[in-house]
Parts: sequence; structure tokens; C-alpha cells
Amino acid sequence: MFTYIVRRLLMLIPVLFGVSIFIFFVMRVVPGDVAQTILGTDATPAALAQLRENFGLNLPLYQQYLNWIGGVLTGDFGESMRTGKAILPDILTRFKLTFELTLIAAVISWIISIPLGIIAATKRNSKTDFGLRIVSLLGVSVPNFALATVIILVLSLYFSYSPPVGYVGFFENPIKNLEIIIIPAIVLGTSMAGAVMRMTRSSILEILRQDFIRTIRAKGAKEKVVIFQHALKNAMIPILTIIGLQIGTLLGGTVIIEQIFSLPGLGQLVLTAITQRDFMVVQGSVLFIAFIFVMINLLVDLLYSYLDPRISYK
Amino acid sequence: MNRKILFYFLTVLLVVFTAACSNDESSDKSSEGNSDAEQTLKIANDQEPAGLDPHKTPAHSSVRIYSKIYEGLVTFDQDMKLVGQLASDWEQPDDNTYIFNLVEGVNFHNGREMIADDVKYSFERIMDEKTASHISSYFSDVENIEVMNDHQIKFELAEPNATFLTNLTNSSAAIVAKEVVEENEDLQQVAVGTGPFVFEKWVPDNSVTLVKNEEYYVKDEPKLDRVEYFTMKEEAARLSAIRTGKIDMTTLTSKSAVLLDKEKNVDIKDYQSLEYSYVGFNVEKEPFNDEKVRQALSLATDRESIATVVWDGKATTTGPITPAMGDWAIEVEDEELYMRDIEKAKKLLAEAGYPDGFSTTITTASTYADMIDTAQLLQQQWAEIGVKADIKQIEWGEYIDTWSNTSADILIGRNGSGTDPDRAMNYFFSTDGSANVWNFSNADYDKLVEEGKRTIDQDERKKIYDEAQKDLIKLSPNLLLVSPESYVAVRNGVKGYTPYAHNAEDIDQTYKE
Repeated sequence: MFTYIVRRLLMLIPVLFGVSIFIFFVMRVVPGDVAQTILGTDATPAALAQLRENFGLNLPLYQQYLNWIGGVLTGDFGESMRTGKAILPDILTRFKLTFELTLIAAVISWIISIPLGIIAATKRNSKTDFGLRIVSLLGVSVPNFALATVIILVLSLYFSYSPPVGYVGFFENPIKNLEIIIIPAIVLGTSMAGAVMRMTRSSILEILRQDFIRTIRAKGAKEKVVIFQHALKNAMIPILTIIGLQIGTLLGGTVIIEQIFSLPGLGQLVLTAITQRDFMVVQGSVLFIAFIFVMINLLVDLLYSYLDPRISYK
Repeated sequence: MNRKILFYFLTVLLVVFTAACSNDESSDKSSEGNSDAEQTLKIANDQEPAGLDPHKTPAHSSVRIYSKIYEGLVTFDQDMKLVGQLASDWEQPDDNTYIFNLVEGVNFHNGREMIADDVKYSFERIMDEKTASHISSYFSDVENIEVMNDHQIKFELAEPNATFLTNLTNSSAAIVAKEVVEENEDLQQVAVGTGPFVFEKWVPDNSVTLVKNEEYYVKDEPKLDRVEYFTMKEEAARLSAIRTGKIDMTTLTSKSAVLLDKEKNVDIKDYQSLEYSYVGFNVEKEPFNDEKVRQALSLATDRESIATVVWDGKATTTGPITPAMGDWAIEVEDEELYMRDIEKAKKLLAEAGYPDGFSTTITTASTYADMIDTAQLLQQQWAEIGVKADIKQIEWGEYIDTWSNTSADILIGRNGSGTDPDRAMNYFFSTDGSANVWNFSNADYDKLVEEGKRTIDQDERKKIYDEAQKDLIKLSPNLLLVSPESYVAVRNGVKGYTPYAHNAEDIDQTYKE
């Protein structure tokens, strides 16, 4: 297993290298000029040219790439062209928020979806099952930005409540932090729950049809034991896969939710940087997100072997 | 064995992650040092500041903040009259020379006295090509800056320039401290000025905090102890925060202002803005190279209905100089091309060789609902004279590119007309104007606006711009549409705040009850 982990980590190198080339050149091809975006309508052509030179944008492309990637390899992601702020510390600060939000949202979604999925599977084709399936379909199909806006409006209009303004980190002020995070986490969690619940239901149903479950039941095991000790554990692999993908995607930035709830997360950073053509920030963040995504997938793969000892990595 | 390795792997991952995330910047540490008993004003903005360097950052989201920290030599009072700020007064021995006497005893926020050397340094920094300042062209006529003594400085211009003093009122013409620039390389992340508020911290995509300048040289100002600016991009979030009193002040669109009408605790303050919406043509391209086609489109445009539909009636028809500029603006209602006349428009199109109209594309930014609404209205209105227009919405970064390269035939946009008529007239429409991206060139017009720039006598100057505005409306390189009102929602307890077009966010006199 150790060699497997090392091999997977080594595979990160070509993946991240590929991503870095891709994002670097995509940002160069997209129409838009960072100098004009920064200086606005008042700047003279000379000022624009000077600013491009200051950013090193007049160098040949390969040289720009080498300068950038050379910095990245030594842990220097450069500075934002727009704000002059160092990029890597900014990414890490923002990632903390996005990580916390994703984690709480994921826990909320598991609390809702896995028990309900089990109930729906064990009471297959009953009224409860139909009811739950409709609810899960709603969870999947109601876009979370719509849900978020409705929640904000209803809370402020009917309950005179709005979340505190100005984000504070968990370690600075846990209570205020949770008050800020909880509503966006619920919105994200419920929309994640729909898909996980449907997967739980169908996966458990599939396991329940298998021979070994019949054998366990024939041996007189209680239904509780059948479901929780045998069916659920075996059904976890597809559920874990979908959870892994969801978390990977969310960690890459919960863009819309961050925007609606004014949260300074990773998604906001990337979005603003893209509209402002702040190349350096886009490149750095995308590389970071790719890294996180690969790591989450590795984690999920390792958890497979924990859940199903037949899967082993050598 | 496998499980053990997995356990170790997870532990290492967790430790690395925690370590990576804990290199937080120390600036975050003091978060809630204030109570509401203090005079703290909380303002929500729709955009994140783009940087704090006044000489390099024209974005309004930045100006609204650094204009509280920095000051210039002169400024406008509420009636848009020039008054001294860091200059107590000034004299003009001849048309090309200005001598400013500086207010004595003004300190930078770092405690050092502001003197004439700082003024010289600041303008040299603006005019230095290496700085790449967006306002370098404002001072291109400045030939020499001479420090007479610590509190007196002389500017010599190459030729008379009527815009010189108004350009000095621009928030970007700020006086900065040399040692701060040298220590930090630039001023994007730090701010040390002479203004009423001192920069405390900026948490990205979250908030900027300013505190009172206890040693401010203007007596009894500012009244507030703290100002906190929060970035809240979503209008629904700003609405809900002002309803519940989490913030004291925010800007709003006209559509949202209506929603707060019934709110007892919130006042809506409106003012005529300096902005206007326009239709820009690439005047080198057929059919827009023909003046008659542009005039026909002007005649087919119903500006009143744009004001009603797009801005809920809270907008005024405008020429190139907006009504908020007061006397400089001409009455446009009587202009022939502003009175909708479909028959005349069709006739002009026929004369230009398009009796059945033509097909074209209107390009606009998807970011701004008002621009899209305007494009859709024009699409309907122009259809009446046989002009079939498709609408192309593009993303903001691409839009700016399209604007600067004139790569669209027709572009819908919004401009600020500035505080001096030279900006609205020369800068957007003269052949060499930096923002004339329309390929528009007219020798007579160029001569006229150059004369306007060089005429110091204000009455003479007004006559020149009156004529230039009428000319420009006839030449129609742009169709100037309407100038909207702007809105600020303010909680009831906030007193001493009145927005003006040229200084909508002046909070020097503001306090909370």
C-alpha cells in the first residue's frame, strides 16, 4: 500500500504539469487585457504598454510560462496583478473557509441522505419510499442559488434576521463563524443530499438482492444487523464515489453560494480573477484546485480498501 | 498493515493541511474590537476594491475607500465650486502658472508633516511613465514643478489649460508620502495619507476598515470613529442586511430601491448621477460611416421610454454632458435628433442607400441588466425603420477588450461624464482623445474642443462647449441616451449624510444617533 500511495503521489506531477500548461495558455487565448481592465478608460496607450511591461506580458510566452512555473516550484505563486497581494497565502486563507463550508455541508447531507436512503430502500415501493424519492428529486433539481435567495428573503422579511456581515474565521470567533456558515452549509448540504440519497437507496437495494444477504437472513439475523452490518457497508463504495466527487467539486469553490452569502472563499477569488483577467491568480488557484481534487480522489480510493478488504493496492 | 499505513497517511495529510492553513496573516487578528456604542458606520459595497494605490487604481470600488484616506490640493464643495483642500489658496500670476500655498501643520498618518516636497514627489510619480498611472495624461501640460518653500509650490504649464484645476480635484491626484512608496514598492496594499480616516486593515473579499484620524487638521471632523466597508456582491444580501440593521448604508439599483419603499427604518437618498448610457458606433464601418444612418437611428430611438422601462422613470434624457454637471449641460429636449420621428428616420435611411433598412448586431455586457434592457428596447424601436438587430451579450473582460479595440459595430455602454466638460467632449470624441475608440474624427470639432480646453474665461468656455455639444449630437458618433439617478439606502439613525453627484460618499460630517 505504501508503494501505491507513493506511485499515486508521483502521478500528481504529470497531472499538475498538464494542468499548468493548459490553464496558462487558455488564459492567454481568452480575449481580454488585464492592463485595460485595471486602468480603465482614462489610461493612455503609453501607460497601458508600461503596465503590460511591468507584468512581464511583453516577454515571449514560453519565457512567461517558465518564469511562472519556476516560481511555483519554489513555492512562490507570485502576486495578484490587480491588488499586488501575494497569491499563495491568499489561496490558503480562502481555502480554509471553503474547506469548512464543504465539510459542514457534507456532514449535513450525510445526516439527511444516508438514513433516508436506507429507509427508502427497506420500504421499497411504499408511500414513504415514493415520498422520499420525490423529496430527493427536489433536492437534486432545485438549483441552490434559488434556494439561497429564497432563504435570505424569507429570513429578512418575515423573521427580521440576516446572517452577520463580515466573515470571521472559526478560531477567531467560533459562534459568529458558525452563524455565518450554517445557512450556506444547509443550502449546499440539502442540494448534495438528493444525489447521495438516491445512490444510497439503489445501492442498498442492489445489495439486498444478493445471495449473501439471503444467507444471513436464513441464519436468522435481525433485520437491523442485516442492514447496518452487512448491506450498508457493502453498499458504501458507489456512495463514497459520489460523495468524493461532490466534495472535490465543492472544494474547488462554491462560487455561487459564496457570492450570495458574501463569503470570501476560493470560488470568489477565481471568479473575480477571471473577470479581471488577473492571469497570475487564475493560474495559481486552478493549479491548487487541481491538486486538491486529485488528493480527494486518492483519499476515496484508499477508503475503498478500508470498506472492502478484497480491494487491495499493491 | 494496510490500515496502519492508511492511518499514517491520513495523519500526515491532516498535519500538512493544518500547517499550510495556519500561516494566516496577522492583520486578521483584531476583528471585533468595536462595539455599536462607538460611532461605527457599516457600509456594504457591491464590488471588492481593486487595490489602494490612488495613482494606479481608477476602479470606483477603490476610489470610494482611498478618497477617505488621501487628499489632493483642491476639491469641490457641495455646489461643485473649487475650494482648497491641502492647498489653503492659490494664485495665477499668468495663464500658465499656478502657485499653491499649502495648509500648515498637516501630518501624514505616519506622523510626518506633509510639505511641498511631497506634492512635487506625488505629481512626479503620477507623470512618471514607469508608474503607468491612469491619470498621467491629465497633467501632460505640466512642464515644471518648483518647490518655493516647505509650504508653497509652483506649477508651470506649457500652455493654458482650463482643466488643470478640476483635474486636481480627482481623487487619484492624491498627495502620498515618498518613504511609504519606497518602503512598499507601491501603495496597493498600504495607505498613508493626510485624510480624515486612517487605513487599518483589508481582508480580501470581505471588508476594509478605516479608523478616525485623531489628528485631522479640520476641526471637529470626522465625526465617526470607524468605517467598515463590506463587500457584498449580491444585491439580495445587501437588501436583507440593511433591512435588519446589520449595515447602515449601501448603494442600490432603482429596481431594489422600490422594494425598500415600505421599510420604516431605511431612507432612500437619490441624486442625479454623472453617468450616462450610450450607443457607440464604429464609424469606419458600413453602414455607420454614413452620418445619415446614425442620425436615422437617433430619430428612431425613444429615449423617454428607455428612461421609463430601463430606469423606472428615474433617468433624464442627456447629451454628452450630463445634467448633473449643471450649467455646462445644454437642454437636449429641443434637439431635432432627440424627437422621435419614424418617417424622417426612414427618409434619411433611404437617402443613405438603405430604403429597406439593414441587419446588424448590438453588443453589450451580460454583467449589467440595464445595458441588456437598453439593447432589447433599441432592438424593438429600430425594427420600426427596418433595422434588424441581433443582441450579443459578452462577459465583462471580453467587453472591455471589445470596447478598446472597437471590434463591435454597435456597442451599448455607460460612461461617467467627469467633472470637467473637457472629459465628456475632448477625451471621448476628439481625434486624439484617449477614450475615442469609435474611429471618429472631425477636424472642426477637434478645433472647437481644443479651444475649450485652452480658454480660461468660464463664460467664453461655456459658449464653446454649448456649440460643441450641439455639433456632437448632429454628428452622432455616439447616441447619448439617458442619465440615471443613483440610490443610496441609509438606516434612519445615520445623520449628516447627503450624496452629491461628484461626491456621493462624503462621510466627513456623518454620525450615528
